[in-house]
Amino acid sequence: MNKVDQIKVINDMINEARTSLKPLSFNLVFWGIFINIMSIIHYTFPSFIQQTYYSAGIYWIFLPMIGMIYMTRWNIKKYKEMGYSTTLGRVIKIVWAVFGLGWLMISGLAFYQGINPVPDILFLLGLVSVLTGAIIKFKPIILGGIFLLIFVLSLYIYPGQNALIVNMIGITLGLLIPGILLNRMKTDE
Amino acid sequence: MNKELEKLLFNPVRLKILSFLFSVENASFKKLMEVSGATKGNISVQIKKLEDAELIKVRKKFEGNYPLTLCKITSKGKTSFKIFLNSLQSFGVNKSADIEF
Repeated sequence: MNKVDQIKVINDMINEARTSLKPLSFNLVFWGIFINIMSIIHYTFPSFIQQTYYSAGIYWIFLPMIGMIYMTRWNIKKYKEMGYSTTLGRVIKIVWAVFGLGWLMISGLAFYQGINPVPDILFLLGLVSVLTGAIIKFKPIILGGIFLLIFVLSLYIYPGQNALIVNMIGITLGLLIPGILLNRMKTDE
Repeated sequence: MNKELEKLLFNPVRLKILSFLFSVENASFKKLMEVSGATKGNISVQIKKLEDAELIKVRKKFEGNYPLTLCKITSKGKTSFKIFLNSLQSFGVNKSADIEF
């Protein structure tokens, strides 16, 4: 093997070791659809979801927890199938794990204090989306995060808005559309 | 460059393993087999040689009932690989091979 062949082998291996962003795109699309369906059900049947003081809290904490358990298992399985891990992949996992923890804390505290958790969750989601987009250098996710932050501001400026509709629009622009765009990228980088 | 290192990385399978591990945090035996295109027996031998030279670290564990072998490049492995890479680039071959880092 001559020097040029060796360089070619090294280059090929480095290209093989690229971080696959397909699992991240599936996560974004999954949560985009999941939260939108939850919001639509809540919006359509408010009397059912809010029939008791605790029912809405239970609905918005326990169903996402089931989603989190499902996605965590899916992600573990996917990373096992890949057979390798990269620093970028680890950073993305940490960022979203911290978001998941923050989401549960905000929802729990909002439930305990009887306040609406939507603005705080969207704010956290906006920050995490901007961070993720900046890390993987993918502008639609950065833009989605910025949209989410704008929606949070609008909720504070005009508090009379329906939080569920804002949630649906925010999640669609912040998670669902960037997730679909990321999935449709020609390469995994 | 160290002659031993040059000899060690002259083997394409070992070079593939070390190049791949240089770019990732860790990789499974199965993945290394896939990227190197080597057989199970051959890759075991080459991994052992890289491990003996302290260029990589091998960790064996169980996942459920199945054994899982994970390989990771060591600090010595990273330094050696960089030295090897610099020596290749000093030949000027990087321009023709279009290598990116």
